[in-house]
Amino acid sequence: MASNLAVAVLNGIVWGLIMALIALGLNLIFGLLHIINMAHGALYMLGAVFSWYVIELTGNYWLALCVAPLAVGLIGLALERGLLRTIEDKPLVTIICTFGIMLVLQQLALTYFGGTARRIALPIPGRFPLFDLQYPVMRIVIAAISAAVMVALWLFLNRTRYGLWMRAVVQDREMAVALGIPVHKVYMWTFVLGSVLAAFSGVLAAPIVSVDFMMGREILIMAFIIVIVGGMGNLWGSVITAVVISLIHGVGSIFVVPSTATVFSLGFMILVLLVRPQGLFGE
Amino acid sequence: MKNGNGKKSVREVMGSEISRRDFIRATTMGAAGLAVGSLSFAPFTYGAGKPIRIGTIQENTVGATVYGYWLTKAARAAVAKLNAEGGIAGRKVELVEYDTKVNPAWASSMYKKLILEDKVDFTMGSVHSGVQMAVFPLAQQFKMPYFGGGAMAAGLTGKDAVAYYSRIHTHARMQAAAGWKWGFDNLGKNWTFLVADYAWGHSLAEEFGSRIRAAGGKTQTILAPQNTSDFVPYLQKVDPGTKVLFTAFLGAPALGVMRQTVELGLHKRLQRYTVICCTDGVGQETVGKESAGAHYLSYYPRHASQVPKELQAYDKAYRKAVGMTDDGKDVSDPKNTATVSHMWTMWTIPYMIKQAVELSGWKDSKKNADFMKAFNTLKVKAGPWAPQGDLMMRANDHQGFHNHYLEVVQPDLSLKVIARVAKEKLMYDAPVDLRSKL
Repeated sequence: MASNLAVAVLNGIVWGLIMALIALGLNLIFGLLHIINMAHGALYMLGAVFSWYVIELTGNYWLALCVAPLAVGLIGLALERGLLRTIEDKPLVTIICTFGIMLVLQQLALTYFGGTARRIALPIPGRFPLFDLQYPVMRIVIAAISAAVMVALWLFLNRTRYGLWMRAVVQDREMAVALGIPVHKVYMWTFVLGSVLAAFSGVLAAPIVSVDFMMGREILIMAFIIVIVGGMGNLWGSVITAVVISLIHGVGSIFVVPSTATVFSLGFMILVLLVRPQGLFGE
Repeated sequence: MKNGNGKKSVREVMGSEISRRDFIRATTMGAAGLAVGSLSFAPFTYGAGKPIRIGTIQENTVGATVYGYWLTKAARAAVAKLNAEGGIAGRKVELVEYDTKVNPAWASSMYKKLILEDKVDFTMGSVHSGVQMAVFPLAQQFKMPYFGGGAMAAGLTGKDAVAYYSRIHTHARMQAAAGWKWGFDNLGKNWTFLVADYAWGHSLAEEFGSRIRAAGGKTQTILAPQNTSDFVPYLQKVDPGTKVLFTAFLGAPALGVMRQTVELGLHKRLQRYTVICCTDGVGQETVGKESAGAHYLSYYPRHASQVPKELQAYDKAYRKAVGMTDDGKDVSDPKNTATVSHMWTMWTIPYMIKQAVELSGWKDSKKNADFMKAFNTLKVKAGPWAPQGDLMMRANDHQGFHNHYLEVVQPDLSLKVIARVAKEKLMYDAPVDLRSKL
C-alpha cells in the first residue's frame, strides 16, 4: 500500500508537470490571441517526431531537446504569419483552421514518419527503489526540467520587456496599441512560444511514451480539460490544475481500476465548473 | 490525277493499286500480329468477360496503419501474380482499395461504395474487429463474399458470424489453445493479464485465463484503455506473486507497456508473454534491448531462417513478391518492419478465391452462395500461395486453421522459434453452423 501510494503520488506529480507544460502553451495562445488551438496536440507530436529524427542522426537526446522545439517554433511562426493572422479576430474560423492544420500535420507525419510507433531510448536509464517497487530516474529528471521551464517562463513574463508587452496586450489591447506596443509582433511570438512549449513537452514525454503520429490526440483532450478547469487565460491555474488532476487520477488508481479513476478526474472537472464556471483561477 | 474537287485519289496516296488478294493478306497478317502481341501482354482468354474486381478495405490512416500498408502490399502482389498466371477463370483481376480510417461507420460507407459503385465481386481486408462487424450487415444484405484480413475477436466466426464472411486466420480462442499450455508449463502458473479494455483484450484474458484456472493456476486481470500512454498506475497493481505478465495492446500503447514494464524493473521478476499482434510491424530494436527474453505467440516466423525447412522455398518467393527482406523488413526501407504474422492472409485469399471460383463454376454474383460453399471447404496445401503451410477451412463456421509458433526475443533482438503448434491441435467445436444459411 505504501509503495503504491508513493508511486502514485510521484507519478502523478511527474505527469502533472508534463501536462502543465502542454496546457501552458495552449493557455498562453488562448489568453492572448483568443485562439482555441486545435493543432496544439499535433505540435506536441511534431516535437517528439523531430526529436526522433535528431536522435537518429546524432544519438544525442539533449541536442534534440534544444533543436526539435525550435524547428516546431518555426512551423508555428509560418502558421501564424501565413494562416492565423488573417483570421485571428474570428474565433470560430480559427477553430476550424487549426483543426485543419492538425489533420494536415498528422497526415504529413504518417506519410514521412510512418504509422509504426517508435521508441526513444531513456537518456538516463537508471531506476531507484521505492519501497518494493522501482521508479525510473528519467521521470524525475523530466519533472525537474518541466518545473525549470515553468520558472523560466514566469521570469520571462514578469522580468522582461517582451513579457511586459504580452501582459499589457492581455489586459487591454487597444491601450497597448495606443502606447506603441507592436501587437501583431507580440501575437506572432506568443504563438511561436506556445508551439515551442508544446514541442518541448513532446520531446520530454517521448522517452517515456512512444513516438507515434497520433500521440497528440489524447493529450489534447486532457490539455483542454486542464485549461478549462484552471481558468482560461490563467497560466498558473493550468499548472496547479494539471498536478491536482494527475494526482487525483494516480491516487484514485490505488483504490479502483485505473481507467475508472479517470471518472474522479472528470468528476472534479464537473464539480469545479458547476461551482466556478470560469474555472478554479479564472476571473 | 485529281478529283473534281482537286483532292488526290486513294490510289495516288497509296502509290500503287491494291488488289483484293493483297488487302486480305495484309489484314489477316495484321490481325494475327495484333492477336499475338496482345497475348504476350495480357494472358487472358479472349471473350472471357469483364475483369473480376476484388475490393479491399484497410487501415491506411488514423491508426493501425502499418497493417494497412503491409496488407495492401501483399494484396497487390498477389493480384499481380494471379494476373501474370492468367487471372481467374481467364479473367483479369482488379483491386479496388479503400481506407477504413479505423472508423466502423466510415468503413461501412466505403464498403457500400465498393458494392454499389465499384461493383466489386469479392471483398477482403481490415484487421479491426469493429470495422468487420460494421460491414457484416452489408455483406449479408448484398450476399457479398467477405474475407477478413487479421481481426482477432473470436466472435467473428462465433456468436457474431454471418454466412458471407470467412476468416482464414487465427483468433483469440485459437491463440489461447495454441499458447496457454506452453506458457503454463514453461513460464509459470500465476498470471496477470494487462490487456486493452475492449473485445479483443477481454477475449484473450478470458480464453487464456479460463484454461490457466482450470489447470490449477491463478490469474489476475487488469483492463486499461487502448489509448493509454502511462502504464505505471496499471503496472503497480500487478500482483507481487505474478510469474507471467501477459499484455495485449495494439500500436503505440503496445510499445509503451513493454518499455514501462522494463522501466519499473518488473522484467527482472516475471516472464513477459503476449501475442505477436502487439508487436507485428514493430522491430525489436524499437522495443529496445530490454525486450530480450520476451515471448510471443506468432502465426508466421518473422525471420526467414526460422521458417520450417519444408516451407523455405515458398517463403523465399513470397518475401520477394511482397518486397520483404529475410529479416521481415521493407526492401525499400530497412526501418519499416512488416506485419509478417498477419499479411500472408492477403496473399493467400486471392488464390483461394481463384480456387473457389473454379470449383463452383462461379461467373457472377448469382452463384455467390455456391462460391462460399466451395471456399469454405478448401484445403490449401503448402506451396507458393500458402507459404505459411497447410491451411484448412471449416464449413460450419467459415474458420480457417493453420500452424502457430512460439518465438522468444534473443539478446541480438532477433526472434527465434522455440516451438511449433500444429493446426490439428487447435481444433475446437464449431460454435455456429452456417451451412444451412447460404
